[in-house]
Amino acid sequence: MAAVAPARRRKRRSIPFGRILLLGFFLIFVLWPLYWMFNTSIKPSDDYLTVPPVWFPSAPTLVHYKAALFTYRGLDGLINSLIISLSATVLSALLGTLMAYSLARYNTGGQHLSFWVLSQRFLPPIGIVLPVFLIYRQVGLYDTHVGLIIAYTVFTLPVSVWMMFAYFRGMPKSMEEAALVDGCTRWEAFWRVAVPLAAPGIVAAAVFAFIACWTEFFFALILTSRTAFTLPTVFRAFIGFQGAQYGEAAALAIVSLVPSIALGVLAQRHLVRGLTLGAVRG
Amino acid sequence: MQTTTITRMTAAGAPPKLSRFARWADRNFKWLLVAPAVLLILALSIYPLLFSLVVSFINYDFQVPGHAFVGLKNFSRVIFDPVARWSLFLTAWLSAVSVAIEFVLGLLVALTMVRSFPGRGVIMSILIVPLFISPVIVGQAWTLLLQRPFGPTNYILTQLLGQEVTIGWMTESPWLYFSLIIADVWQWTPFMFVILLAGLTAIPPNLYEAAELDGVSAWQAFWAITVPHLGPMIMLALTFRLLDAIRMFDTIFIMTGGGPGTQTYTASYYLYTVGFTQFHLSQATAGSWLFLIFTAFVVTLLVRRLLKTEPV
Repeated sequence: MAAVAPARRRKRRSIPFGRILLLGFFLIFVLWPLYWMFNTSIKPSDDYLTVPPVWFPSAPTLVHYKAALFTYRGLDGLINSLIISLSATVLSALLGTLMAYSLARYNTGGQHLSFWVLSQRFLPPIGIVLPVFLIYRQVGLYDTHVGLIIAYTVFTLPVSVWMMFAYFRGMPKSMEEAALVDGCTRWEAFWRVAVPLAAPGIVAAAVFAFIACWTEFFFALILTSRTAFTLPTVFRAFIGFQGAQYGEAAALAIVSLVPSIALGVLAQRHLVRGLTLGAVRG
Repeated sequence: MQTTTITRMTAAGAPPKLSRFARWADRNFKWLLVAPAVLLILALSIYPLLFSLVVSFINYDFQVPGHAFVGLKNFSRVIFDPVARWSLFLTAWLSAVSVAIEFVLGLLVALTMVRSFPGRGVIMSILIVPLFISPVIVGQAWTLLLQRPFGPTNYILTQLLGQEVTIGWMTESPWLYFSLIIADVWQWTPFMFVILLAGLTAIPPNLYEAAELDGVSAWQAFWAITVPHLGPMIMLALTFRLLDAIRMFDTIFIMTGGGPGTQTYTASYYLYTVGFTQFHLSQATAGSWLFLIFTAFVVTLLVRRLLKTEPV
């Protein structure tokens, strides 16, 4: 022991160049596109048609933000995204918590029901969205806020259910049993005892549901048009133009990514559970 | 595993004085809780799937009137469409390459982050940022970097290589595949990294200490300790990622639009164009059912292995 200890201390003190190099390279790889997007968003239009490119804009401007939000209806998309994502998040967290509690505490439907919900997570959206499009057109839900809210609720439910399922499984049941002994109904044991205890888990599940809705593109592309379009679909306007709209696209991207990144970083303690639907505890 | 389910038996006693409805609700409590979610999934996932199965066998086309039964014609049209086969091949190929790169890179980065060091928390927060960005924006960001002639990538390469580089990253094969892969790698390597890091930190450190005392080299320790302990996590990360990668659509929509020609059609993109730009809706639903069966095949294959190596 005595002979090994100093050797290990020496080893730990030596600088791991390889690791620093790798981590540094990867950090630059992650940050570079973000920096370039921000840089493009504040450059005057003349600056992005030059060789060499302008690395640091000398006269930063907000004109692209203004154009992206007002000329390209980015603000409408932002408001729609907020309405739709928040509503779907609340619904998904609520229904997900109800179902997860039943699955976790009463083993409802055995393994089949819980795995059936999980399997929904892995359905390719293209298989769902085509018939939903046809149905929505018939029942008048096409290009409405309600239509997309329902779609997003269903599409985030598997994640909410499984995250909350794992959360309830990790909670002791003794408090709820004590409530039942004291004469509470099952509903009261759930609503007054279990839900307040599970609040942090519900918030985490809601955050991931929100991020999923906020960044979703495919459903919004097909199920909305000029009324209920969300922020990601606004980017269609910038496809194929040579150079002229890069500033607007970048500005809109910056506006759109700030809320989801802020929420995601705040909730990063729950990230592993969120990504693996509760299968792994972070 | 310790049971977490509740029964009235273990809790004893029945609730006092309830109306008939309340008693009924209490008895069927567990079913009432799952009902809203299950009904919603049935209405917006199972019903559409069945509906699309019906549509697959009839004519449902915005260019051909009528809804006559056409048998397997919609399916055969997809199966014998060379573009469909190409798109399925490209989907498999692109997702396999992307996920492989993401896995190796994610594992390497996770290995550098296992031990704590000053600034680790901040670096962690930066590395996970791509996970919270819409794939549309990721595609847009890489478009800005790779565009010709004013994007910085070609300029930097020109400076580094000392000769003029004028690659059309989003128009020339094979570079456009590289562009799509790098956008995917940028966004999803953090996914691998986060899960693998969770797996790495769960390995008891005393195993490595024991190995060190026995004079085992770091490389041997990696193969003898890290890999077997990480096995279930690796399976989980690969499964989840692969099942998402085969849906690839958003970045293609933004970066290449499937082009040039049909060179960057993935399965999702192909079905989207058949359904929503050519309006052969029944052909698209038939194709999406074929894709669904293909996905289900991959799912059962992967998830069955995953369940065998239960991580928790």
